[in-house]
Amino acid sequence: MEIVVYGIINSITLSLISLGFTLVYSISRVPNFAHGALYVTSGYLTWIFLNKCTGMPYVLAIILGIGITAVVGALIYQFILVRVRGMEISEIIATYAIGLAILEGLRWGGLRGGTFSLPAFFAGSVDILGVSVDYQRLIIVGAGILTFILLYLFTRYTKMGLAFRGIAQDERAAMMLGINSDVTAVLSLGIGSALAGLAAILLLPLGNIVVETGYNVLIFAIAVCVIGGLGSWGGVIVASFIIGFAQILTESFLSAHYQMVVALLAIILTLLVKPSGIFGKQKELEERV
Amino acid sequence: MRKVTCIIVLLFAAGFVFPGLMYAAEKPIVIGAPLATAFLYGWDAERGIKLAAEEINKAGGVNVGGVKRPLAVEVIDTRDLEPGVPVSEALLGLEKLILEKKADFIIGGPVRSEAALAAMDILNKYKKVSIITTGVLTPAYHKKVESNYKKYKYCFRNTSHVGVMMGEFVTLLEDLRKSYGFKTAAIMVQDVEHARKGGEVMQKALTDKGWTVIAPKVYPTGTTDYSVGLSDASKKGAQILFLWMDMPESTILLKQWADMKMKSIPVGFVNAAEQPGFAKASGGKGDYLIVNLVNGGNAPAKITPWTMKFVDAYKKRWGLEPEGYGTSSSYMAVYQLKNAIEKAGSTDPDKVITALETIDFMGVYGRMKFDPKTHQIIPSLDPKQGAVTGIIQWQKGKRVQVFPPKTAEGKVLLPPWMK
Repeated sequence: MEIVVYGIINSITLSLISLGFTLVYSISRVPNFAHGALYVTSGYLTWIFLNKCTGMPYVLAIILGIGITAVVGALIYQFILVRVRGMEISEIIATYAIGLAILEGLRWGGLRGGTFSLPAFFAGSVDILGVSVDYQRLIIVGAGILTFILLYLFTRYTKMGLAFRGIAQDERAAMMLGINSDVTAVLSLGIGSALAGLAAILLLPLGNIVVETGYNVLIFAIAVCVIGGLGSWGGVIVASFIIGFAQILTESFLSAHYQMVVALLAIILTLLVKPSGIFGKQKELEERV
Repeated sequence: MRKVTCIIVLLFAAGFVFPGLMYAAEKPIVIGAPLATAFLYGWDAERGIKLAAEEINKAGGVNVGGVKRPLAVEVIDTRDLEPGVPVSEALLGLEKLILEKKADFIIGGPVRSEAALAAMDILNKYKKVSIITTGVLTPAYHKKVESNYKKYKYCFRNTSHVGVMMGEFVTLLEDLRKSYGFKTAAIMVQDVEHARKGGEVMQKALTDKGWTVIAPKVYPTGTTDYSVGLSDASKKGAQILFLWMDMPESTILLKQWADMKMKSIPVGFVNAAEQPGFAKASGGKGDYLIVNLVNGGNAPAKITPWTMKFVDAYKKRWGLEPEGYGTSSSYMAVYQLKNAIEKAGSTDPDKVITALETIDFMGVYGRMKFDPKTHQIIPSLDPKQGAVTGIIQWQKGKRVQVFPPKTAEGKVLLPPWMK
């Protein structure tokens, strides 16, 4: 039963981590390699508001942490990525360099050691089908499902969401209809960064805020997106469940230290069998949002 | 002419009144500290070295054959604890300290065992005496000195190693077995060389002692979920969770352990749980964890008269308690070097080596004496006999020394749900 319960939790955790990365790519076509850095930034900002601004409520610290991260993401596009847009290699190098600068800057600025942590929303645990699960993980599952539903509704029933879909489907046609490509890209970076921040706020109370997490988050986000297909939300969900359950099964029946091997093996297999990923259609003019 | 005479007289007078001004004119003895400064084992070592150097300088400096010389500390970031940073980078840092910063002696690192082992040839090449004080836990270091003394005589280590730490852990666990009847242990380690070896050695040692040992679970660096392993250990009746991890994510394991209210007590080498801030970071869920800080004095304890004197001086200088492994040993190494230079009456490497091999005094974590054949600090469970470890248990958010018995300030407590 642990395999089922923790398999689901692990899968939703992975999809939360990857959601922002895939959203940015699906709309702006920018592979945001600063995703992990924005994840850590959001957690650290929230920690600062919570611990250095006496009396600030946790909810307000979270809103500020996510909000500032979203602005940082938007500014990254507005001032840097707009200059290299369309040059894929340059985009990768630029975002990776920005991520590296942010993470090492945080380390230089004092984010060192294991003493930075966010409190869990609710302490304690509950037995589900005989398996002990803490409340924070249940919140992660609930918040993960809710986020997907809200994003689905947003992209189908709001003007901005429809503009996102238009750009994702055919940028030129969308521009002819008056949708500003750059503004949409700025917003996508902002929302993608906010999603990275949301994942951080939900997941970091399980452990510590450390710089190294930024690199791990980026690796898993890329793994999920490569397997699921870059820019495909359905792919993110399916790939998260494949990797999530594969990891738990590996730990149960093989050994925990093969977990990363399984994730990387899945990437290699996907690239060999279907290079664009399970649901990936990067070279086709099809809906990605 | 009269003016010049006056100035000379005034300078002499100042020298008598303010001795600090006199030694300031002498050439400083440069201590090079190659450390991974972004990590606990680096920054705490740096603070320990600087504190000792400041104390010595305040007291007049190091007496080198009748001349008082101040100490100068040059720190370089070797980055060798960062994932993916090659050993060659740490070695370049060490060479930079020697060639550019003109370091006379080396104290501290390199911190990663692989880098420190490779650095031994550089120390021989430049004939620089070094005292390793942090990070390097491999027994291969002192064995290498013993196997080729002539080449590696420049290398000393005043901190413990895996071989000694394992013996201490087994003794502690045997004590717990006698007290509480424990007989089953689960081993969970990180997928890095020292941790895997630690797990293997512990499995064999406990099995030999008659324990039932659940096969070690090895976790890749960065693991964020330990629930399956913990559930397995719980089902198989583990009363001891033996951990060996230096990744920050091990806090997640401890939080899950507390949430699951497992009927076991976590014991081990857990880097994330060394710092005073761990209690807050873990939301109090780290209580009852037993951690090996490798040397005494890395947390407050009354091991020798110097221990609390050091802890208080550290708190005054840096505004917090010594944070973990590498602090007391780095502080102590500067005093060992000072004593050796004064005994040798020179900074000549060969004379200092001979002096380091013979100095013997009571330090922060017990008797400070190197084995002349291996240049390894002589360990003991009695501070009067040798250097003692600092095994602490988190109790109500505080680090309480619980082992070795002669230095213990409290007994091991069990979580309420185990009673």
